[in-house]
Amino acid sequence: MDGAARILRRYTGASILIAVFLLIVNYIILGTFVFKGMNEGSPPIHVTQAVAEGLHKNSSHYTLEPNAQEWLQKSQAWAMLIANDGKVIWDYAIPDQLPRTYSLAEVAQFSRNYLQDYPVFVWEHELGLVVVGYPKDSLAKYQFHFPISWISDLPYRLLALLFGNILLAALLSLFIGSRLIRAIRPLISGIHALSEDQHTHLEAKGMFSGIARSINHASSLLQEKNALLKARDEARSNWIAGISHDIRTPLSMVLGYASELEESDAVPFEQQQKASIIRKQGEKLRSLVSDLNLVSMLEYEMQPIHTKPLRLSTLARQIVTDFLNNDLAETFTIELDVTTEQCLVMGDEKLLVRAITNLVQNSIAHNPLGCHIHVQTTVSPNQRNALLIITDNGKGIEQSMLPDLMELPYSSKRKSPLHNGHGLGLPMVARIASAHHGHLLLTSDSGKGMTAELCFPLSS
Amino acid sequence: MEEWKQKKVLLVEDELEIRNMIDGFLRKEGFSRIFHAGSCKEALVICTSDKPDVAILDVMLPDGDGFGLLTSIRRFSQIPVIFLSARGEDEDRLLGLGLGADDYIVKPFLPRELVLRLLVILRRVYAPPQIDRLPVFQLGDSTIDLEAAIVTRDHYEYALTAKEHALLRKLYENRGRIVTSDALCQSVWGDDYYGYENTLMVHMRRIREKIEPCPSAPEYLLTVRGLGYKLLVKEEL
Repeated sequence: MDGAARILRRYTGASILIAVFLLIVNYIILGTFVFKGMNEGSPPIHVTQAVAEGLHKNSSHYTLEPNAQEWLQKSQAWAMLIANDGKVIWDYAIPDQLPRTYSLAEVAQFSRNYLQDYPVFVWEHELGLVVVGYPKDSLAKYQFHFPISWISDLPYRLLALLFGNILLAALLSLFIGSRLIRAIRPLISGIHALSEDQHTHLEAKGMFSGIARSINHASSLLQEKNALLKARDEARSNWIAGISHDIRTPLSMVLGYASELEESDAVPFEQQQKASIIRKQGEKLRSLVSDLNLVSMLEYEMQPIHTKPLRLSTLARQIVTDFLNNDLAETFTIELDVTTEQCLVMGDEKLLVRAITNLVQNSIAHNPLGCHIHVQTTVSPNQRNALLIITDNGKGIEQSMLPDLMELPYSSKRKSPLHNGHGLGLPMVARIASAHHGHLLLTSDSGKGMTAELCFPLSS
Repeated sequence: MEEWKQKKVLLVEDELEIRNMIDGFLRKEGFSRIFHAGSCKEALVICTSDKPDVAILDVMLPDGDGFGLLTSIRRFSQIPVIFLSARGEDEDRLLGLGLGADDYIVKPFLPRELVLRLLVILRRVYAPPQIDRLPVFQLGDSTIDLEAAIVTRDHYEYALTAKEHALLRKLYENRGRIVTSDALCQSVWGDDYYGYENTLMVHMRRIREKIEPCPSAPEYLLTVRGLGYKLLVKEEL
């Protein structure tokens, strides 16, 4: 389920990033679009200040500096100077309806608000109070008052606001994300199950119902195909098992009567020899039939394997001894070389004995003139595998033919037809090795003998 | 041997030709009281009426299988049974032997093998109870009495220890053949024999001191390098 956690992490991260990005974009938009025009032209307080500073009295005459005048014109504003006694002593473009005398209370009032709906601004002047008025309804005037403590707390509050925002964004995205994940999780486990070739059935509802249906469909398709494949393998394996079974009964009679004739004193010697040939060929047929069955079971992985820890050296010793005890022809010599007794493998004793016996038998069968057979058990250089190496100094086989030897006879993978033997021996060894998670390696060349290396994982 | 051949043999096999062939072999070997059955039903009838002493059962029969037949027979009889079947998979063999069969022979078989196995079973089941005596045999000047665990040579008696006795017995059972050191160790120390190779060598030297005239140049108990040991027995008492 780490898949879902990863998606959630990515999703939350992306959401926070988007939130921060939106925040920044909003700041920029606020600055460039919303607050644009707030201080259009010159700020009134600046104009007022300029007027106050630009207004001079020369004897009894007032002059306003031209730039201040220009500003007033541009803002369509008017201005007046109220002396300390409340009388207007200078004015510029003042509307007619305004009074020319102001009481203290009136001054206090308009300095904060409006003078007869004219937004006005005041600035002190050495001779009194400069008042600049803007046209009616052109400016909104607000006054703000804040406690000092609030102002000093403001940075913290803003910071808290920022973090609060980020936290909220994270929580929200987590919430939405987890809802999404809850919807996706079954899909993910469904896909995992598909990849592991297990049956999966998801509830098709919610926003991913379509995908769930597809996964269900894929799963049932896979199951169907698997079932078909399995049925086909089983049919093939059963077919071979059936044939080898059916051959056994007639073969019993061939072997039985042939060996009776061979042993019967009433039969002339020549006929006894013929009966002996029939019996030997029948025995070959018998071993072929049982090999065929075993190979087909191994090929379709239907051979139950009963593994237990086995010492490779013990097996090799037993097999070499069996060959010596069972009258190995004098032209053959066989030697065992155990480099370590520590080669413990998990294996099916019967199958391993069969594999090793097959390899030795192979050297004997393909070198009718005799050869020296060397059987070695050892541990691979990396200390991970147990090796059983069977080497002969016989006639060997062309290097190019080696890959063919491990394929089943008459299989499409085999390039050239068989030369001798029934050709099931080495493919069987290769399959027994792979059923034990190992492999068979053949090396040879014409005239250089053959080396067969069985490699199995070491069992601790 | 001949008294075994008076025993009644029940042959259950649905293939007439195979049945006749086996019948022929058994008669040639001296068996005369052979009962034929081609199905479970016939076999059960014969079992109750003729009370055979041993049965050879095919596994696949027209009205059931031999495993079921054996179960039915076992309800009233403990006669020894040999399965003779074309089904040779491990599971079938284990099932057959697990049901209490005395042997399981897979077709195709050699008739001599069937007869020998039949005789072994008859001998084991019907032999008069007697104490199995361990053999006494001669190795050159030494007489080895496995029953008494004593080697007699040059008028001296050497007692064999329990381990030496077990080793000599194993070697004698396989006389003339190589016995691997694994098999020897296992026969003495059981399945956890690993690591006893050196001890085995010590025991072998002690055995040689008792049986060989010249223990450093053994004539009878030979070492086969890398494999095991071989006991050569030339004369038997």
